[in-house]
This record gives sequence, C-alpha cells and structure tokens, in this order.
Amino acid sequence: MSGKLFLSASSTVLVASIIAVASAATPVELQKVRHDHYHELGDAFKEVRDQSKAASPDFAALEKAAETVNKASIDQQQWFPKGTGPEAGKTRALPEVWSKPEDFTAAQKMFSDRAPKLLAAAKAKDIAGVQAAFKELGGACKNCHDTFRSPEEH
Amino acid sequence: MRVWDVPVRLVHWLIVLSVAGAWWTAEAGRMDWHSYCGFTLLGLLAFRIYWGFFGSSTARFGQFVRGPRSIVSYLTGRWPHVPGHNPLGALSVIALLALMLGQVVLGLFTVDVDGIESGPLSTFVSFDAGRLAARWHDRLFDVLLWLVGLHVVAVFFYLIVRKENLIGPMLSGKRAYDNDQPGMKQASAVRFLIGVALACALTWTIVRAFQF
Repeated sequence: MSGKLFLSASSTVLVASIIAVASAATPVELQKVRHDHYHELGDAFKEVRDQSKAASPDFAALEKAAETVNKASIDQQQWFPKGTGPEAGKTRALPEVWSKPEDFTAAQKMFSDRAPKLLAAAKAKDIAGVQAAFKELGGACKNCHDTFRSPEEH
Repeated sequence: MRVWDVPVRLVHWLIVLSVAGAWWTAEAGRMDWHSYCGFTLLGLLAFRIYWGFFGSSTARFGQFVRGPRSIVSYLTGRWPHVPGHNPLGALSVIALLALMLGQVVLGLFTVDVDGIESGPLSTFVSFDAGRLAARWHDRLFDVLLWLVGLHVVAVFFYLIVRKENLIGPMLSGKRAYDNDQPGMKQASAVRFLIGVALACALTWTIVRAFQF
C-alpha cells in the first residue's frame, strides 16, 4: 500500500515536473526569451555607440556594455533551439536558421570572433579602437541578418 | 508679375529632392545617406521657417496664414486674386512644414532595432525611447505621403479643372495677374545670407549633438 502510494506520488511528481519543464519552455516562451536577449543586446550596442561618440565617455558603462555584447556573442548559440522558428509563432527568425545550420553557425561565429576585439578596446579605453571594432561588429550583425532574419515590418 | 522669390522656389524643390532621397535611402537600407537627407531637410526647414518671418512678402506666414472666415470666403469665390498662397493653400503649407519638422525631429531620436544605426540626438534618450521614436517615424511618414499626395492632386486639380498653372510659377517665380496690384516685396540678399548661416549653424549643432 505504502509502496503503491510512493509509486503514485513519485509518478505524480514526475509528471508534474515534466509539465513544469515543458511549460517553462514552450516554443513561444523561448521566442520571447530570445527576443528579450536581443533587446538587451540592442540596448548594449546603443550604449557602446553613445559612449564612443561622447565628448567624455563613461568608460565603466562602455566596458559593461561591451561585456554584455561579448557574452551575447557566445550565448546566442543557444538561443535558436529547434522548433522556435516562424512555425511556432511570431518571429523574424527565418526557417534558414534551421535549414542551413552550417551557414548559420558560421554567421554566429563571425559575431563571436569579432566581439572580443570590442571588449578589449573598451577595457583599454581606446575609443578609436572601439569605433573600429563596433563598425566591424555591425558588419557581422548585418551579415547574419541579411540571410537569417526577415525584413522589418512596416 | 513676380510671385515667388528664388529662396522659396529653391527650398521647395530641394525639399522635394531630400524627402524623395530620404524615402529611397530608407527603403534601400542606406541609413548613412538617409541621415544626410534628413539633415539636409532639417536645414531647409530651418531656413524656410526663418524666411517665413524675415523673407520676401509672399513667403511670410503673417501674410498668407488666415483664419477660417478667409478660407470660407476663398471657397465661395469672394477672395481677391493676389500674388501668394491662398487661404486654403496656406493650410497645406503649414501642415506639410509641421509634419516634415515632426518627422525630422523623430528621426533625430530614432534608434534601429539592433542599436547600431541611430539619429544624432538618440544619445540623449534610452534604447526603448529611441525605438518608440522609430515607430512613430515610420507611422508619420505614411501621413506625410498622404499629404504630399493631396498637395500634388490639388496642384493638378488647379491645372486641369481650374486651368491655373501653379507649377510654372514655382519654377519661374512669375505669374500673370489680370488686375493691377502690388507684387511681391523682395527681401534683401543680406537677410538671405543670415538665414542660410543660421540654418547651417543650427543643423550643424544638432548633427553634432551639441558637442564641440
């Protein structure tokens, strides 16, 4: 009896936890998480741009933003799990992300290869270096977006 | 008889070019050139507003902006045929100038979705505020297109239905009037140069985001 109770209790826990895991990460929720990550990245990019143009840059803010960009360049490789494309809900991620995985990985790698240069320049308080690295990094963004992101809606 | 001075005509056609240029470059994703078009438009608008107070008689807001009663009397054919904007056309001038000014100001604060491209004044606002400006920049452009369309339709309505050519005078500056009346009072070249200098200084200051 107690064995049965234990079994049913544990299976209830198991089922509940499966539901919990599944519901914590529905495709739509994963899309939202991804969207929030990119929002944070855009915010950081703006900070880098603003500080690199400021008469007296806030180097602490610049470095923090460059850290965020650098971290995102590595983390983004986890932001596109299978099943989170346009078939799951509203997203600008194109099906090519999943149908051309090698090209997509290469595009992501361009970002993660270039981001450390920005961080290094920010740490060195080298504004000219930040501007150059920012421009180069913008090229990596565009490179990926041209193929793997749908155009902005009007 | 002279109706439009050189600055009014020049600014008019340069506005056409810079708005068309801003449209085309935005569609093509050339944001660097889009910015230059916007800055040019900013300078042109600044000059035109100055000219609306200190320019030749037909360019001055004080002369052509009228109340609703004047508009009614124009519509009912009781308005004298004098050189310059009629009371109804004045509304179109004001609406177009105001809308373009709003569009330029929004553009100055706009940030793109990636935080990479941005207007020079976006450094004073947050990423989210810059994105909000971008959305309104996008929406207001549709309104502007409609108004430009209305402006062009109205000009052709005058040409075809009322047999009045308004395009020629905007090129030559001259228009025939049947009755005897005082023509345009031309503003001096010094005033023109002051206006150009002020417009350039203002535009330069804004483009540099007040940093020197």
